[in-house]
Parts: sequence; C-alpha cells; structure tokens
Amino acid sequence: MSVRPGPQPLNLFVSYLDLLKLASPEAIIVLIALAVLTIGLTGDRSRTFPGIVAVVGIVIAIWTTMRLPQHANLFGGMLVISPLNSLFKIVCLALALATVPLAVSEKSMRNPGEYLAMLLLGTVGLLLLVGSEELLMIFIGLEVLGLSLYVMAAFDKTDARSAEAGLKYFLFGSTASAFTLFGISLVYGISGTTALNVIGLKLAMGSIPPLFAVGIVMTLIGFAFKIAAAPFHLWAPDVYQGAPIPSAAFIASGSKVAAFVVLGKIVLVGFAPAHGNAAWHSMLPGWSPILAALAALSILLGNFVALAQTNVRRLLAYSAVAHAGYTLLGLVAGGREGFSATLFYTTIYALTLIGAFAVVGIVKRETGGDDFQNFAGLASRSPFSAACMSVFMLSLAGLPPLAGFFGKFYLFSAAFRAGGNHGLLWLVVVALFGSFVSLYYYLNVLKAIFVDKNASETRHSSPGTHRFVANATIAVLAASVVLLGVLPDALAEAIAKSVP
Amino acid sequence: MMSPFLFWIFAILMLVFGAAVIINRNPVASALSLVVSFFGLAALFLSLDAYFIGVIQVLVYAGAIMVLFLFIIMLLDLRAEELRKINWIASAGGIAVALALMFQIFSVVEKFPAAKQSFPPLAKPAPDDVRQIGLLLFNNYTLPFQIIGIVILVATVGVIILSRRETR
Repeated sequence: MSVRPGPQPLNLFVSYLDLLKLASPEAIIVLIALAVLTIGLTGDRSRTFPGIVAVVGIVIAIWTTMRLPQHANLFGGMLVISPLNSLFKIVCLALALATVPLAVSEKSMRNPGEYLAMLLLGTVGLLLLVGSEELLMIFIGLEVLGLSLYVMAAFDKTDARSAEAGLKYFLFGSTASAFTLFGISLVYGISGTTALNVIGLKLAMGSIPPLFAVGIVMTLIGFAFKIAAAPFHLWAPDVYQGAPIPSAAFIASGSKVAAFVVLGKIVLVGFAPAHGNAAWHSMLPGWSPILAALAALSILLGNFVALAQTNVRRLLAYSAVAHAGYTLLGLVAGGREGFSATLFYTTIYALTLIGAFAVVGIVKRETGGDDFQNFAGLASRSPFSAACMSVFMLSLAGLPPLAGFFGKFYLFSAAFRAGGNHGLLWLVVVALFGSFVSLYYYLNVLKAIFVDKNASETRHSSPGTHRFVANATIAVLAASVVLLGVLPDALAEAIAKSVP
Repeated sequence: MMSPFLFWIFAILMLVFGAAVIINRNPVASALSLVVSFFGLAALFLSLDAYFIGVIQVLVYAGAIMVLFLFIIMLLDLRAEELRKINWIASAGGIAVALALMFQIFSVVEKFPAAKQSFPPLAKPAPDDVRQIGLLLFNNYTLPFQIIGIVILVATVGVIILSRRETR
C-alpha cells in the first residue's frame, strides 16, 4: 500500500485548443465576469446593463455546455466531461441565472458590476467542482467558490450584520478547508494519487490503513461545512440572516448543489471500498456511519431549533441544516439509486430556496425587515408573492403534489431499500419524524402571511422594472417547483440516466 | 540527507518561533518570528533534497510576503493588540481541543505499520528539479496551474471590494 508519491511528467499533453474547447463553459463565464467588472469600472451605476450582460453570458455558457462531447477525460480526471457532469454544470449555471435577477432587483446594492463579477467567478468554482474527479482540482474549485462567497457575504458595507456574516463564513470556511486539505494530503500520501477512480482501485486491493481513515474524516469535515450539516452548521444562521439576500440565496443553492455532487463522487467513487455499514445491527466503521450520524444530528437539531425562530431567514437557515440531513440519506444508502435521489433532492431544494429568498427580498424591500411580523398581511399587500411563498414553503415541508414531496419520497425509499434487511430504517424514521416537526414552522410562516394582521405599514415600493424582474423570477421558480411536482420524472429520469 | 542532529535543530527552531508568532504581543516581533520559522522550514525542505521549494520558500515567503506583512503592520500602527487581555478560559479550551486532536491522530498513526519503519532513502534527486517541476506544471498540471490564476483574480478583486471605504 505504501506507494511513494512522485508524479512523472507523463505524455498527457493535450493541445491548448482542445483544452479550451472542453473547458469552454468555464472560459466563457470568466470572460463575462471580466466584462461585467469592466462595465462596473466605467462608473455607470445602473444595475440593469451588467445584469443583462451576465444573463446573456450564462445563457451562452449553458448552450456551449450542451454542445460539449459526451465523454472526455483530461489530465487523469481533472476535467471530466460526462452526461452527469454536463447536466449538473447546466443546473449550476441555471441557479446562477436565477440569482442574477435577485441581485439586479436589490435596491440597496451598490457596485452591481463587482457583485455580479464575484457571482460569476463563484459560478466558475461551481463548474470546476462539478466537472472534476480529482482531489487537487476539487480543492482548487472549493477555493475559487469559497473566496467569492466570502466576499459576496460581506458585500453590503452599510450593514454591520453583513460584515459579521462575511467574517464568520470566512473563519469557519477557511478552517474547514484547512481540514479538507490536510485530509486530502493524507489520502494522497497513502494512495499516491489524487484521481478518485485510482484511489478507489488502490483501496480495494488491501485493507484500509488507519491513517487513511483519518484522511477520510478530515476530508468529510470540509464538505459537512459546505452543506451546513450539524455540527458544522454554526455559520449558517448568521450568514443566511446577515448576508445580502442574493448572496444568501447563492450560498444556500449553488454552493450546496456542487458540494453534494462532489461529495457523492468522493465517497461513492474514491472512498467506495471504505464504505462501512450504517445499518442498525451491523454497524461497520467507514464513511457511511459517519454520514449517517451527521444526517441524524442535522435532522433533529435543524428541525427543533427552527421551531424557536422568529426571523424567516434564520428559520430558512435551520431548515437548511435539516435538509442537508435528509439529502445525506441518499449518500448513506449509496448506489445509483441513492446518489440519484440525493442529486434530485438537492436540485429541487436549491430551486425552492432561491425562490423563498426572492420573496424574502421583496418583503424586506417593502417593510424593511424579514421577521415574522414583516410578513404579516403579505397576502393582502401582494397576493402573488404570498401564493408563491406558500408553494415554496409547502414544497420544503414535503407536501404532495409539490416537488419537495417526490424528492423526499425518492430519498426515503432509497434509504429504506438499501443496507439489506431494511438496516437504515432507523434513519428513515428519524427523517420522517423530522419532516412532521418541520411542518409546524413552515405553516407558521404561512400563518403570518395569511392570517396575521398587517402591523407594519408598507414603507416603500420598489420601482416598476425591478419589481417586475423579481416577480418574473419568482414566478418561474414557483412554476418549476409545481411542474417538477406534477412531472418529477422529467428531471429524475435525466439524472438517473446520467448517473454511471 | 542531512544528519538527524541538524534536522532536530531546524525543527525545534521552527516550532519555537512558530509558537512565538502567537505568543508575542508585539505584531512586529510576531512577524519577525514568522520569518525565522520560514527559514527553518526552508532548511528542512533543502534537507529533503527539494532545493527548488526551499529556495522559493526563502525568496517568496520569507522575502516578499513577510516584507509586505511588516509594511502593513507598521502602517496600521496596531497598539490595541498589545493592550488586549488574554482570555485564559478560551485559550485553555482551544489548547485542550488541539491536544485532543493531536492525541487522536497520534494514536491512529501508531497503528499504522508504516509509521514504525525507518524513512526510506529518497530517490537520487534529479539534477535539474526546476526543469522537472516546470515540465509537470505545464503538462500534467496545466489546468490547475491556470485556474490558480482565477483564484488570485478573485482574491485581488475581493480585497479591493472589501477594503474600499464607502460613504452612506
């Protein structure tokens, strides 16, 4: 097992033109980010023009992603093009596309050019993460994404809470990436390679050395931070509440989707032989009992703490912790079915959460806050936002016929069937219990919207075009949540077909 | 391969001055301790026949980056740091967590058979390791090498965004 690492210059040379062709979505997004940054430099403070450029760039990138070849593998896994990776590159780009209008309609946003540039550079990080099956590139992708998100969280310099959010996210995030890097270095030191599939093959040959176990645990810590699983969730409430709304939406959606895709590949491909067993009566050490413990803790802690929140954004943060727990169920179950369920759920969840944050943004602009009392009377002020918010909340709670129900159904049934002799039943029971608890606080939000009397007067109304952009985004997101609830197969089948 | 005696001298030098970075109340003294610690690290790299990394360590870290550090510290005139009281309970907690983690890692490493073997002699160093590194960077690692450029771009833009003063 002890392989002395020492990569030799191999004849892996790819012509730069081929490299550019295969990495064209990333290259386009970087170029657009630079263009948006330059537009910001011209001193034009309008938010619309940089937004249009960003949207056009992302659409072009989605188009080029669709035209990529079916399969390609550069530099031993550093840039892998497969149906799964291309599908999730498109999902990440779509999530960025949905975040741009939020940033454009944010009235207090200064320097929109710089903000959109950071958003686009963060998107490059997402694309690199999703498109890589090699630990070195995964780490660099995490860093590109992390650095942009820290800046986005601290972007609003007129608000002390935004600075707090940025600082907390930065401190937790950099510590977590230090752990991940240390873990990756241990994995590399023992297996002598950073390519996930080779690590998997090497591990399968012999018993798993204890030092590798340390490497696995340390690598998982960094991802547990990214997906905000308890007990690594401490940053989430402050960041979700304090960061500017588009940043919070992007942190909660894009970053989470990419982290789940990569985490799934790492544990199911790279660490596959160290699976262990999380079944109740036959626990075996490995990564799956660790993830199962994280999942159970996240579900219980997230749901119970969310009950006590009076601020909608903090409530969404704790519910995000719980949802990270549900989503981990699919990875614990493992296999094609479990991984597809995880990917389906995290996509649905990301769409729902961007929508919810968009409604929070509208309420905050109109009433100056995002507590429950600010949501009171939303139904009479703006029936449209109220209706969309109830779609998002009910989907998060997992009620049929919305998309969240099918997401949870796939996850729970994958976990129920996995592990032989229904060994993961305990985890499914915990998750079902958590879902019932969560119904209370989601309905509490709806109660504030529909039942509570309007205490605070509407202070300002947004200008027409920006209000229209925000409403259009919310409408599209709500429609997709409903559509994916009625026709879940449209996405579920695409994911299931692309998972190898 | 250098003698174990020199290894211990440089390792202890590194650790002592590394601790001094944290313990010193004067930021300038902290920064200078970090320079000494970097020199110790460079010596360890040289002892492993990694001449390129050793030289870069001195040139880039001990040289360029630390000089910038010192400039910034002197520009900012950090008096408050010297006066700040140490929160003993918090630091005791932090030390306890660090010790627990160290103990855990050591006890795991103990079980690892390779940890008890003596370190195998390194392969004969390539006579031109700069060339080897260059070839690796531009062949196997072209893509990460270029993407590091994006990381630096993000960091540069981000620092400017965050440090600019804004009036309400």
